[in-house]
Amino acid sequence: MTVQRRTFLAGTAAATALVSAGKIHAASKDKKYRTALIGTGWWGMNILREALAAGQTKVVALCDVDSDKLEIAGEEVLDLCGDQPHAYSDYRELFEKEQVEIAIIATPDHWHALNALAAIESGAHLFIEKPTGHTIGESQAIVAASRAANRVVQVGLHRRIGPHHVSGMKFLKEGGAGDIGLVKMFVHSSGGTEKPTRNSEPPENLDWDMYCGPAPLRPYNRRIHPGGFRNYLDFANGTLGDWGVHWLDQMLWWSDQQSPHSVYSTGGRPVRGKAVLNDNEQTTDAPDSQIATYHFDDFNAVWEHRRFGGKGPERSTVGCNFYGSKGTFHMGWRDGWTFYPDDDKKPVVHQDAQLQEPDGHNMKELWADFLQSIESGRRPVADIQIGHQATTLSLLGMLSLKLGRSVRWDGDAEQIIDDPQATALLKRDYRAPWTYPTVS
Amino acid sequence: MNTTMHPINPLPSTFFTHRNGRRDLFRLTCQFSLAIGLLAALVAPATAEDWYRWRGPRLDGISTETDWTADWADGNPDVAWTCSVGTGFSSIVVQDNHAFTIGHRDEHDTVYCTDVTDGDVVWKFSYPAALDDRDFEGGPTSTPTIDGDHVYVFSRAGNLYCLQTSTGDKLWQVQIADAAEVRLPGWGFSAAPLVVSDQLLLNMGEAGAAVNKHNGELIWSSRDRECGYGGTVLIPGSDPPTAIFASGRAYVGVDLSSGEALWSERWLTSFNCNAADAIVHDGEIFLSSGYNRGAAKFKLVDREPELVWKSKEMKNQLHTCLLYNDHLYGIDGDMEEGARVKCLKWANGEVVWSVDDLRPGGLALAGGRLLLLTEAGELMVAPASPEGWNPIASGKVLDGKCWTAPVLSNGRVYCRSIDGDVACVDCRK
Repeated sequence: MTVQRRTFLAGTAAATALVSAGKIHAASKDKKYRTALIGTGWWGMNILREALAAGQTKVVALCDVDSDKLEIAGEEVLDLCGDQPHAYSDYRELFEKEQVEIAIIATPDHWHALNALAAIESGAHLFIEKPTGHTIGESQAIVAASRAANRVVQVGLHRRIGPHHVSGMKFLKEGGAGDIGLVKMFVHSSGGTEKPTRNSEPPENLDWDMYCGPAPLRPYNRRIHPGGFRNYLDFANGTLGDWGVHWLDQMLWWSDQQSPHSVYSTGGRPVRGKAVLNDNEQTTDAPDSQIATYHFDDFNAVWEHRRFGGKGPERSTVGCNFYGSKGTFHMGWRDGWTFYPDDDKKPVVHQDAQLQEPDGHNMKELWADFLQSIESGRRPVADIQIGHQATTLSLLGMLSLKLGRSVRWDGDAEQIIDDPQATALLKRDYRAPWTYPTVS
Repeated sequence: MNTTMHPINPLPSTFFTHRNGRRDLFRLTCQFSLAIGLLAALVAPATAEDWYRWRGPRLDGISTETDWTADWADGNPDVAWTCSVGTGFSSIVVQDNHAFTIGHRDEHDTVYCTDVTDGDVVWKFSYPAALDDRDFEGGPTSTPTIDGDHVYVFSRAGNLYCLQTSTGDKLWQVQIADAAEVRLPGWGFSAAPLVVSDQLLLNMGEAGAAVNKHNGELIWSSRDRECGYGGTVLIPGSDPPTAIFASGRAYVGVDLSSGEALWSERWLTSFNCNAADAIVHDGEIFLSSGYNRGAAKFKLVDREPELVWKSKEMKNQLHTCLLYNDHLYGIDGDMEEGARVKCLKWANGEVVWSVDDLRPGGLALAGGRLLLLTEAGELMVAPASPEGWNPIASGKVLDGKCWTAPVLSNGRVYCRSIDGDVACVDCRK
């Protein structure tokens, strides 16, 4: 689709009306936003529950290509708040029929851009899950459209607002770890070889063609849906495109949103084995291990994940280490943050995490910030530009992995330098009738 | 099981076919009178009983045995013997001093018959099977069913075996999923076969199937849709005699004689994972699933379920609750995330107590006491009481991850780990 100028104008007009309405009622917590959720799976419902708990949500519509998920979600919404949202299997119909003020996008990655652009075009503010695109061009289109329409877009980077992240970042920025020369971001887990799983007919409750949408139509396999899309590069970008976005964002936050000038990645499936995809069976195809190196002006940052080998000798399996002239700072998940001075005689500094369980997040704070941004017109803490930059870095890593060579990056122009083959990978071909978003 | 006790036409009294080889008089009573049978069950003295099928003689997971003790010497459970049967989740069944279960090793599932006194293997029977460790450790998930001199085994891939209880000899085998032309659910078949009269009820297809228990011939089957994973239960006193099947997207009441679905309570759960058995009591039905689905109780009104209450406070991902003295005792939440042990009021679903930090692996109830096997292999005993969780004994019986509920039969408690270690704890007085 093309984000057209007339759309921008229409969106802007709507925005003005909304912002002024917001100002009038700024002090009122009675305002209920007409909210739609696109993608009613586990995480989408986690977000919606937070939205309902915050007390300013009227759920008007739910959308999913899996009618079972849709029905379960509808029943839960009714139980939680008494709302009886309309159910849709096609997001386009939803935005055509419903007057949506807030859209939550929690679909698989390959749908994010089309869902988000339709929501913005309809005049909605957006809460969108990371990554903000499956390819960089999609993410750029969301940035352009939301800015033009003056819509608030919060990206689901709850680690931007989680208490231990905020206090840890303060510690780092005040020089607690000294001058940082290297940042290492990592996620490790256990795993082994993977045998192919038989393909089957899609379940009766699933619109498989619509699930694939702009991505290639591949044989259905129970490992993909529900819950497995991240391991398939048609629909997502593996661990770097998932966890990587969170930890890259922590690094970018500390660096005051600098851009790397080159990126190199290597990795593959040495343990899981070669990816299989044929008419009868398939495996996942995301890398089981990957390293991506980002060169900045004054420091380097390295992403590393492996889905085998377990924890090993390290203290943590997930997080972000900042190596500085005074010691090593570890920003973790459930283990909070810890600073290890390079001088063993000095005390270790630590702060516990404060997370919402069972899933260990800080969505409550992130949703509150989103509402405040809509009311005040300010940028949210995980604004689309912030989510876009973290997404871009993860996708540059994936792009380098596919090419097998490093790429140079112009962060201001958001362009790959002198490499047409790499530049071509900033976009992907969409399956008809879907068209790749462009900004005109 | 002595088949003469079953009328040819399944009458309601069939649903109270208490089986106890040592109590012939009680058997006869059951055969002739539902009312007296029920009364006998309620006041039955706490003699030992064989746990010859999944969820036990009354299909409620509760043993009436009281003649056992957790007053272990030096405070530690008396592990009489251990044995290794291979990977799996299959529970233990007991008959005539023999214990039976299934495990996986080297591309085969193996049915074990062991002597309960020393754990010696009396016989074993193997059949080719994949480990199929999708998102879990894999191996067999169903429990054998004993019916007199026959043992029935339903494999994850849909092979149904009839073995001779005394020897382990295979009497017949059928690929029943192919015969019924129904698909395998995501994790394969997992419900134990249930013997009712001459029928073997299998949870497969949209609303179950019935097989002739003498030769494996299909009597009736249901549509080619995903089944769930829970065991099949019977509605006492129902007319026509009705069984409840845990289907992939509903719990379905089915007329046993025809296979006709009489009602269907839509019950959608992520991954079609309806794994807990329905609980039927006093004209009411309790359903529960994990993955944030929750629970609900229904009243059967004109043979249709009508909602009484629903709650997110009891989400049985794998284990069926135990209903005892008007309270539900169960494991709430998804196992990987660390579930809770809870007590709820049957009447209204109100939470009476909840213990969050036990990491439960499986729960049983015998003689008014709960037996909890923790994920890490600790066996804990506590009164089954709304007063709270107050363990009177506990001790390590297994190493490693345990997700199978313990079984008490004839004063012995059988525990197994996923890796396939079985420990027999002697609790006889």
